[in-house]
Amino acid sequence: MGLKEYMNDIVEAVVTTAKGMRITARYGVDPKEEVTLQYPEERWEIPEGYRGFLHNDVKKCTACTMCVKVCPVDCISLESVRGADKKMVLASYDINIGRCMYCGLCVEVCPPKSLKHTSGYEMASAARGELILHFIAEDAAEIKARVARQVAEAAAKAAEAAKTAEAAKTADLSAVAAKPPVVEPKAAKEEEKKPE
Amino acid sequence: MTARTDALPTQEMTINMGPQHPSTHGVLRVILTTDGEVVTRAVPDVGYLHRGLEKIGERVTYAQFMPFTDRLDYLAAMNCNCAWAWAVEKLAKIEVPERAEYLRVIVCELNRISSHLIAFGSYTADMGAFTPFLYAIRERERVNDLFEMICGNRLTYNYARVGGVSGDAPPGFLEKTKEFLDYFEPKLDEYNNLISYNKIFVHRLANVAVIPAEEAVAYGLTGPNLRGSGVPFDLRKDEPYSVYPKFDFKVCVGTGERGKLGDCFDRYMVRINEMRESVKIVRQAVAQIPDGPVLAKVPRVFKPPVGEVYFRSECPRGETGIYLISDGSVNPYRLKIRTGSFVTMNLFEKVTRGLMIADIVAVIGSFDIILPEIDR
Amino acid sequence: MEAAALSLMNAVPLLAGVPLWAVTLLLIVAAAAVILVFALTFEGVGSLVLRKVAGDIQARIGPNRVGPNGILQFLADGVKLVLKEDIIPANADRLLFKLAPYFVFVGSFAAFVVVPFGVGLIAADLNIGIYYVMAVTSLVVIGVLLAGWASNNKWALLGGMRAAAQIVSYEIPVGMALIPAVLIAGSLSLQDIVRSQGGLLGIFGWNLFHNPFTFFSFFLYFTAAQAETNQTPFDLPEAESELVSGYNVEYSGIRFGLFFLAEFGDMFIVAALATACFLGGWNVPFFHVGTLPWIWGNLLSLGVFLAKAFTMVLIMMWVRWTLPRLRVDQLMRMSWKYLVPLTFVNLLGVSLWLLVFKGKGIPGMIASLFG
Repeated sequence: MGLKEYMNDIVEAVVTTAKGMRITARYGVDPKEEVTLQYPEERWEIPEGYRGFLHNDVKKCTACTMCVKVCPVDCISLESVRGADKKMVLASYDINIGRCMYCGLCVEVCPPKSLKHTSGYEMASAARGELILHFIAEDAAEIKARVARQVAEAAAKAAEAAKTAEAAKTADLSAVAAKPPVVEPKAAKEEEKKPE
Repeated sequence: MTARTDALPTQEMTINMGPQHPSTHGVLRVILTTDGEVVTRAVPDVGYLHRGLEKIGERVTYAQFMPFTDRLDYLAAMNCNCAWAWAVEKLAKIEVPERAEYLRVIVCELNRISSHLIAFGSYTADMGAFTPFLYAIRERERVNDLFEMICGNRLTYNYARVGGVSGDAPPGFLEKTKEFLDYFEPKLDEYNNLISYNKIFVHRLANVAVIPAEEAVAYGLTGPNLRGSGVPFDLRKDEPYSVYPKFDFKVCVGTGERGKLGDCFDRYMVRINEMRESVKIVRQAVAQIPDGPVLAKVPRVFKPPVGEVYFRSECPRGETGIYLISDGSVNPYRLKIRTGSFVTMNLFEKVTRGLMIADIVAVIGSFDIILPEIDR
Repeated sequence: MEAAALSLMNAVPLLAGVPLWAVTLLLIVAAAAVILVFALTFEGVGSLVLRKVAGDIQARIGPNRVGPNGILQFLADGVKLVLKEDIIPANADRLLFKLAPYFVFVGSFAAFVVVPFGVGLIAADLNIGIYYVMAVTSLVVIGVLLAGWASNNKWALLGGMRAAAQIVSYEIPVGMALIPAVLIAGSLSLQDIVRSQGGLLGIFGWNLFHNPFTFFSFFLYFTAAQAETNQTPFDLPEAESELVSGYNVEYSGIRFGLFFLAEFGDMFIVAALATACFLGGWNVPFFHVGTLPWIWGNLLSLGVFLAKAFTMVLIMMWVRWTLPRLRVDQLMRMSWKYLVPLTFVNLLGVSLWLLVFKGKGIPGMIASLFG
């Protein structure tokens, strides 16, 4: 190593260090360069379409199970029973957000668009059970029993109606008079379903 | 190093570096045999992050596997998403709308920038300078903001779909992208001034772990690691896919500017220069993007024809190749993923022989490995 | 100290009956307590400032949650360190493991004794001041080596070995770079060195501007001293990205706290020596503090000294957050191939200068030209 190279080495080290220090000094003295977001007090603007926690609007949900089928990690569980009107009635709809990977596939396939991403992202819990979101507060067994009761009632009424219709037929009554008993349970069922 | 034989008898020491070590970029374990500070042997022990992604791929549907590709390389999830989509589209011969391809290229190149930023930042942190790391993270946050805008998430994007992308760019996205590029480009010069050409940094990197071009090819290196050895091989140019042929960009190769060709510094510089090229590509894509739909019509129950396909794409950490066999059902029959980081690890033991402990860190950083890619 | 004790006994009639040695001992303990409080305060505040500076440089804010604007953060850190469990690894050499932090802390703390804080504020104006500092700070290397060895951890051992090699190597350039100041003052006493830089020349009376060789000496000293105190870019013994945390990896609680305090103590010692030897120490430019009443003169000189020293500390932090780390062999090369020869050349240059120009510096010669 010649003397020239030796001196060049020293000069280069000093110059490059000075260059770097100039940049860090600029950041050091310029308060505008601070980019920290003081999180709990300040929050960033959540864009539209942010994939946060899932929320199912159970009133809209048709219990088609598309979301359950498409979920790659099986974090959605759904129980449903066939109601008196032949439509599916949700008995329970749970999402384990501790397991969910927020891929959004379920939201994309949802036919009635009842399943949505919210903008929520804060949840910490000490127990895993708390990470399971229950979208139907009522106990699944109760709903099932109730729906079964309704179905039985409806079936009984239908049978009765059929019987009366039969009787009416035999009694030569008009078919119009036999109609109301068939419609009635349906309307009652609809009303009962709402509070769920 | 020549050891004196007449001196006191010395003993080699075996040190366990990792899986919990700040500089192994995850859960890599390296078993070091050292003679003082000199490493006589460094054997990588991989597999701590094995999740069986390929097996998972066989039991989920083609669409369901998309979120798992996010986990293939979490720093460049967009690239992996798109690689999977391109592979399945190649298998099923699906025509993708042009706007979707443009959007894919934009997000892929943005992700390449953010991935290289992490590579650059964590490398400087490994070398002891913590400040550039935070600058890199700051820039990456902006890319994440863009991704959050377009797909709703910041790390695991799940943006691509078989046949297109999950959603069109929201209004303002392209403008914001341009804004970011204008902001970001001068930062690269700042990085170079701050650290790249710093004398200490150059000394730490130059002439360390030199990989000659023939060896790099023989060991199957790809991506920036191969280009760092001076081989101008880039799948975006040499085996063009998507709309890449429409863009004008340069393949960055190592030049040996501060030492021998193929040393750590060359691999580092390739990444810095590639960010510049990615900026160029995104600029062109944003300017040229056509209007139109972003998702082709794909049946809900998607069953590709019987057959097999191998598709490779240029990911930030080298070639990500996806080999798929379809038996005509909804699930792939067999899936094999080839990743850049895994192949790079083959060379690790060879290049690290005779280096110092601090150099091991430099080599790991210069390979820019990521453990989910190695272990899958 | 005995002289001070005597004058105190004369001044305070209450102490007339007390034996001289008792008063002297009392004074020594009082002085030690004052210095300890100062050292601990500096180390605490220093850690906070370090983090704040890091935040500013790294486009962040830094600690701002404990107390207004985060100024109580160091207290919280201190309380945390004291309350943490003190873990001794099962296979550690218990005695040496416990002993090591004290060596390190004492080595750094003892050097405070000869720091000339003000015109009369010095715990002990030893006539071998600089020599003493060099000697006691070498105690740190023993502590670090012990810590590395006793931890029975391979990473810690590597850190300890690195520290030993590094500190021993850099002792030479540090010493050689300080000798020009000794030559100019003609004394090893730090007070004498500071006094030699006073006078009517203002800041041009500083050794820094004495002649070109002393100018370079300052930078050589600063570089080498950074290495001796394990500051980035020479923080190889700790090297968190290579050796995880180096020699102190197995330490926790207050034992770790002692290492931590010693690090900041060393930082201040380096800054104080640089100030005293090259930057005029407590001298106020164009003003003779000796003319003021004792109390005001001391307060003013203390303020000036601390301002200079803290500026140096800030510069050290600034360097720390800018540069990457050297490799072991490069570190050794830098010491033996660059710093040692350069300091020797400098020393030769200064000696020749003093011989040729009869001890006058450039500013002095210019001043004498104008009468």
